[in-house]
Amino acid sequence: MPTYTPPLSPTTTPSGSGGPAQLDVADDLLTLLRDTTTEPRPDTQLEALTLAVAADLPVLLWGEPGIGKTAALTQLAATLDLPLTTVIASVHEPSDFSGLPVVGDDPAEHGVPMAPPDWAVRLVRAGRGLLFLDELSTAPPAVQAALLRLVLERRIGALRLPPGVRIVAAANPRSSAADGWELSPPLANRFVHLQWVHDHDVVVRGLGGTWPRAALPRLAPEKLPEAVAFARRAVCGLLSARPRLVHQLPGSETRRGGAWPSPRSWETALRLIAFATAADSSREVLSLLVRGAVGDGPGFELLASLDRMDLPDPETLLADPANAALPERGDLRQAVLDGVVDAVHRKPDKSRWEAAWALLVRAAETGAPDLVVVPATTLASLRRADWDVPEAIERLTGTVSLSRRADRAAARAAAATQARR
Amino acid sequence: MTTDAPQAPERDKLDLDKLYAARLHAARARPYLATALFALHTVASRQVPTMAVDRHWRCYVSPAFVDRTPVEELAGVWVHEVSHLLRDHHGRADRVARERGPSGPGERLRMNIAADLEINDDVFGDGLVRPEGVVVPQSLGLPAGALMEEYLSWFRLGPRTQHLAWLDCGSGADGLAREWELGSKGAHGLSEQERDAVRFRVARGITGRPGSAPEGWRRWAEKVFHPPQPWRELLGAALRSAASGPGAGEDYTYGRPARRSAGVPGVVLPSLRRRPPRVSVVIDTSGSVSDTELGSALLEVAAISRAVGGRRDLVSVLPCDAAARLVHPLCRGEGIPLMGGGGTDLRTGFARALRSNPRPDVIVVLTDGQTPWPTVRPPCRTVVGLFPRQGSDGSWDENDPDYVPDLPPDWARVVEIG
Repeated sequence: MPTYTPPLSPTTTPSGSGGPAQLDVADDLLTLLRDTTTEPRPDTQLEALTLAVAADLPVLLWGEPGIGKTAALTQLAATLDLPLTTVIASVHEPSDFSGLPVVGDDPAEHGVPMAPPDWAVRLVRAGRGLLFLDELSTAPPAVQAALLRLVLERRIGALRLPPGVRIVAAANPRSSAADGWELSPPLANRFVHLQWVHDHDVVVRGLGGTWPRAALPRLAPEKLPEAVAFARRAVCGLLSARPRLVHQLPGSETRRGGAWPSPRSWETALRLIAFATAADSSREVLSLLVRGAVGDGPGFELLASLDRMDLPDPETLLADPANAALPERGDLRQAVLDGVVDAVHRKPDKSRWEAAWALLVRAAETGAPDLVVVPATTLASLRRADWDVPEAIERLTGTVSLSRRADRAAARAAAATQARR
Repeated sequence: MTTDAPQAPERDKLDLDKLYAARLHAARARPYLATALFALHTVASRQVPTMAVDRHWRCYVSPAFVDRTPVEELAGVWVHEVSHLLRDHHGRADRVARERGPSGPGERLRMNIAADLEINDDVFGDGLVRPEGVVVPQSLGLPAGALMEEYLSWFRLGPRTQHLAWLDCGSGADGLAREWELGSKGAHGLSEQERDAVRFRVARGITGRPGSAPEGWRRWAEKVFHPPQPWRELLGAALRSAASGPGAGEDYTYGRPARRSAGVPGVVLPSLRRRPPRVSVVIDTSGSVSDTELGSALLEVAAISRAVGGRRDLVSVLPCDAAARLVHPLCRGEGIPLMGGGGTDLRTGFARALRSNPRPDVIVVLTDGQTPWPTVRPPCRTVVGLFPRQGSDGSWDENDPDYVPDLPPDWARVVEIG
């Protein structure tokens, strides 16, 4: 209850006739301003953040000051029903995170315990919570090094944070932090980096009184074994084909302080793929998470190999060409047909060769014929002397004439460019 | 399979065979773009003037345009339209619009023209015919090989661009939605992640087999997922991390007990002291660097060093003889101490900087690279600000055309300036 102080001079009396005090009116106005509604709206970055927090991985949000990182954290904490503890890293000293020595009666006998700060004690006592380390990039390097132990070993002083505590950090990108330090590569490698950007429409609608409410991903209990198998297959498949991706220290000036691939961050990526699969998240969410764990280049490689895993297996198609389901999109369809021709090339025999022709005919009849030309040419060159041309080829006449038309155009183009010289 | 019926009363039947033959020719002429070409979804539309794309990788085609255009020219249009999408012209146009304020149709037309200029200077030829009436930089009296953002600041709409007003490559080229487009809810659109995946596959194909792709596409493939950052940020980051690493900047010292020792009687805790880093700037340019560039780089270094160290007197400058003319007035104006003449080349500059007392923690070298480098690593961190040569291909000397300058050594962190 606010206490009433008598006015100092007659000029400052509240509106004489016993009207409400100015501050009460101000409170009413503030209440009106805070009265906003929410609407459901998918939010990719919040979904990615939720999954990473659920996967018990330390997350680092990169975003300009004032775009609502803390607001997102508050919403996340409320959704997960975790108490939120915010620690601003840049105002602390290294000893705040490694513990202060407390000298007892006989240090030689008992050693010197390292006392943790009070917020850590409260977190441990609660047994669960969301720890938000803000302004990480403006903390001096010595403080960052002390934080490394907190993030990596979850130890603070002599205390160990219980498994129910999840850690999220925030940093301002170098462009906006005038006096920022960069993250050292070892520290950067332990985080999942999420680029936090504001959505223009969301901000305008929110200021108009309607904020978005994201439905957070739910893990489906029945999908867990399948998700683990899928994630392991994806990461192992890529790394066995591309051994150089396993460990690459960031070399160029632009990529320091960001995510980079190492065995540790690949393990992180594997965990994130399993979580995203179990929650049935969209590819956009998965892309954010994987790129945030191992960096853009390797992340794209992994996503491209996931796309290939989604394509039908050439052997399955060759086994039953009549009922083959080819992808709609032209580039994927071309990749599948190339894979089929490649499979025949690796294990040539007459029945497989004919099945491949049947597939090409099916592709030419159900979609654009131009992408069948190259696989058909390659397949024709695989013919052995004793193999008869299958009848199905008759149905590829449209494709052949298309190819001839393109040849004629190429000849004309060559002539025209010659003439121009 | 459609067959062309010439007696059809309305000419709105799209001749798909002709269009696909053109696409096949384009994919054969530019094999590294085949993935992207086949990823486009064609939509026949009578509202489109010629061919246009939207940001969801749909390609809207006018049947009449296909009928009147030869196959080999259609192939050029295919490659042109897919280039808009691969080079993310709609995203870049939106960024430009955000920086320069709202833009009407006229400004978006300028963006479309600028995007076309970026593509057309090197996309045709070598098996692809240039379609009739496409705009090339020479026709507006502009140099080839620049980016859309640069072209945008070089021309205005006027009599020279009057004949281009019919030009329309759709929202894929300038980010402005058109009335014929299906929008984000329509069928057969690619999501953002799928678009990135296509771009990535094309870039991988180019970097994996660099032989056949022209220079412009190779550059694109290298940069597509690593947009270049402004040199000021990079220089600042390199300098900060050099000045804040172990051994320079902060360390624990028992010279002063920590303030927190009061809480721990009988124990002396070391305190974290900052020893502001000393920065020496060695400047060695052979007159090929413009004064404004060098001046801005020097002031940038001085400003960052002060932000790191907090004191004015910890930055010193050593101009090697060619740069002295410009550096002296600059340093006097800024109050930066000058260490006399630095010598004749970088090696003497390094030696002089290291002889000074106390020794610098960081040496920043601003150079155009036309210089011999020290053979051994100096006992402090080195950051190199490298100016690109003002020339066509980076290294050229009229007296010695075979001269190739040494690359900066790998113990230095190199930032390209400009």
